[in-house]
Amino acid sequence: MRIRAERDDLVDVLGRAGRAVGVRSPMPILQGVLIDVRGKSMRVTGTDLDVTVRTQLDVEVLDEGSTVVPARLATEAVRKMPAGAVVIQAQGGEVEITGNGPRFRFREFTVDDFPKVSEPDLTGAVKVSGSDFTDALTQVAVAASTDDARPILTGVYFESEEGRLRLVATDSYRLSVRDLPSVEAHLSGLVPVRALRELGRSVGASEIQVAIGDREAAFASERGTLTARLIEGTFPNYRQLLPPSYPNRLKVPREGLLEAIDRASLVAEDHIPIRLTLQKGGVELSVTRQDVGGETEHVEADYSGEEMTIAFNSRYLNDGVTAVQADEVVLDVMDPLKPGLLRGADDDDFVYLLMPVRL
Amino acid sequence: MRGAATILHADLDAFYASVEVRDRPELRGKPVAVGGGVVLAATYEARRFGVSAPLGGAEARRRCPGLIVVPARFEAYVEASRAVMAIFDDFTPRVEPISIDEAFLEVGGSERLFGPAEDIARTIRERVRAEVGLPISIGVATTKHLAKIASRVAKPDGLVVVPAGEEEGFLDPLPVGMVWGIGPVGEERLARYGIHTIGELRAMPQSSVVEWFGQAWGTDLWERARNDDPRSVERRARAGSVGAQSAGDSTDPDRRHTTLLALADRIGARMRRKHLAGRRVTVRVRLDDMSLLTRARVLPGPIAETTPLFRITAELVDALIHDRAANRGITLVGISVSMLEEAPHLQLVLPLEEEQVTTSGSRSHLRARELDAAVDRARERCGRPAVTRGALLRNTPEERSPTEAMGE
Repeated sequence: MRIRAERDDLVDVLGRAGRAVGVRSPMPILQGVLIDVRGKSMRVTGTDLDVTVRTQLDVEVLDEGSTVVPARLATEAVRKMPAGAVVIQAQGGEVEITGNGPRFRFREFTVDDFPKVSEPDLTGAVKVSGSDFTDALTQVAVAASTDDARPILTGVYFESEEGRLRLVATDSYRLSVRDLPSVEAHLSGLVPVRALRELGRSVGASEIQVAIGDREAAFASERGTLTARLIEGTFPNYRQLLPPSYPNRLKVPREGLLEAIDRASLVAEDHIPIRLTLQKGGVELSVTRQDVGGETEHVEADYSGEEMTIAFNSRYLNDGVTAVQADEVVLDVMDPLKPGLLRGADDDDFVYLLMPVRL
Repeated sequence: MRGAATILHADLDAFYASVEVRDRPELRGKPVAVGGGVVLAATYEARRFGVSAPLGGAEARRRCPGLIVVPARFEAYVEASRAVMAIFDDFTPRVEPISIDEAFLEVGGSERLFGPAEDIARTIRERVRAEVGLPISIGVATTKHLAKIASRVAKPDGLVVVPAGEEEGFLDPLPVGMVWGIGPVGEERLARYGIHTIGELRAMPQSSVVEWFGQAWGTDLWERARNDDPRSVERRARAGSVGAQSAGDSTDPDRRHTTLLALADRIGARMRRKHLAGRRVTVRVRLDDMSLLTRARVLPGPIAETTPLFRITAELVDALIHDRAANRGITLVGISVSMLEEAPHLQLVLPLEEEQVTTSGSRSHLRARELDAAVDRARERCGRPAVTRGALLRNTPEERSPTEAMGE
């Protein structure tokens, strides 16, 4: 195998495929990326067996063939080459990277040891706008759990909902629901949030195809494909958690609220909540930490409903308000022990349900 | 100018030996050493003969012919230590335990409630004497280092207060060996330069002390001699655990569950009293051949309630016995809770799945919390036996397995 291509293009295809490669993989071969050169192009595959990223680049093919190179090392080596054309060549168990002087040599992995990952199945795929989709994922992913003890909560649930594609995630403390309108889809499945966090940077483009099969989800763009093994199990019935209406509503400028949360978070630790006192004319935020001190401030806002104090974990609250994409944030509450619902004013496509902290 | 003298260093006198004398009054006034091969602690009567830790046992007997040597009983020391620390907790949340028998206390925020630091120190000494039966010495000063020196000067069974502004007058005549970090070797080296007291050390230029002891150590010593110690009393991160175990036949599942419920009730109450809750639950099982098995589970959120603690521990213990000790005799079960956090607030969870009392923040966990709060209040008012779980009534108190506390 021997190819020549521009340094920056090579860094791009190697680096993006390498995003699927685990940092500490139990199998050494999984530290590598597979380079496959045929016809006029070079295909790069990286996988940790759960998530696989494939990228592709048109190159000057000098010899066809395949090799597996250490992912991080090879990418960084190419990145550090002088600008211009770089040659990658595999021969006699070694991979050589050369161009304008420097010459790197790395031990090659055995190509046959590389896992046989199936080709992405794009049957029934729907097309979505890349930026809308990655925005939606960012809004939803924040609510997913990272606790592997409860695998179902470490995924984003995809489902079709009356001509919309719906994404849902929850870590049991908050729930994020985002609809992508006018996407005619017939798909459902639970996709690992880890894979989705890599999606934008690995294959993000102006248009993305989304397909969910029985066992795998596949995402494809002109920049490559990402496949992810679905999480098995039933996603909790989240609909029953969303009440049709709320008696109390706060409408507050997003920037002002975020700044106030940021100040309060300076004093709050993770287990110390921010208290929101909702009253006519606005909301008072306050934090008190024993032996340290506290912070209090008033943010002007519209409030209609009963005066009450409700407390939220500072980080969860910040995540929710940050995820709202509107100048004004609406917080609907029932009582201090029931979940509050955050959304943008005049925006029905995203809601963030947040369980309070009992004082 | 530093603040008022509000830092206490409280240090139990000849701790292990004092516990032995307390429990065996016939030892009072006699030279007593705890330990066998090596002396772990000695009474002041024994110290007069040059017996102190860590002296070899044979040498100790040679120095002090009438020495009474008793074996160590660590459970008794742990228990006494915990009782003393609990008294400290009554006066301030800022208690920094240094070891089993000493702690720093910051009482600056407590003076409005309990009076000046000196009065607090006096009350603590009285209560430790009355409630635990042990002598304790306390130093009160503006810095940790000085408070520690003051408690040493106060020993045995005394109280020394160094008011703000009088630090130098107090420190200067004391031997340099009192400075933390100067041992016999350092003392000897300083003596060669003609330095015997802290005052003499303080008068030296910093550069000389640094030259003798090196940059880091020398600077520390010089600053300590000048009572320059910015360290504040830090509440130690609650890295510890709360646990209890019960020896006795637990082979029969019913009996085992009753025992686990009693243990869960006990350590749950202890955690709640300290406003703690924990995320890791560990169980221990001892088999008839004395081998020990353990198993642990990390929970998504912290708990301190009796019912969920019991459910989780029973599940863990039963599974452990099923997997690794089926048909074996069980001679001890123990449980402990770690990954403790201070838990005045409770993050509630969305009712996503079926209600589980073992899920922190669920509605049924909240109900367990309210139940326990009511039980705790009733017990506080009317004594511990006032409220007992029905399942625990089947055994009379005499039949109940003895339980012992561990950790925290």
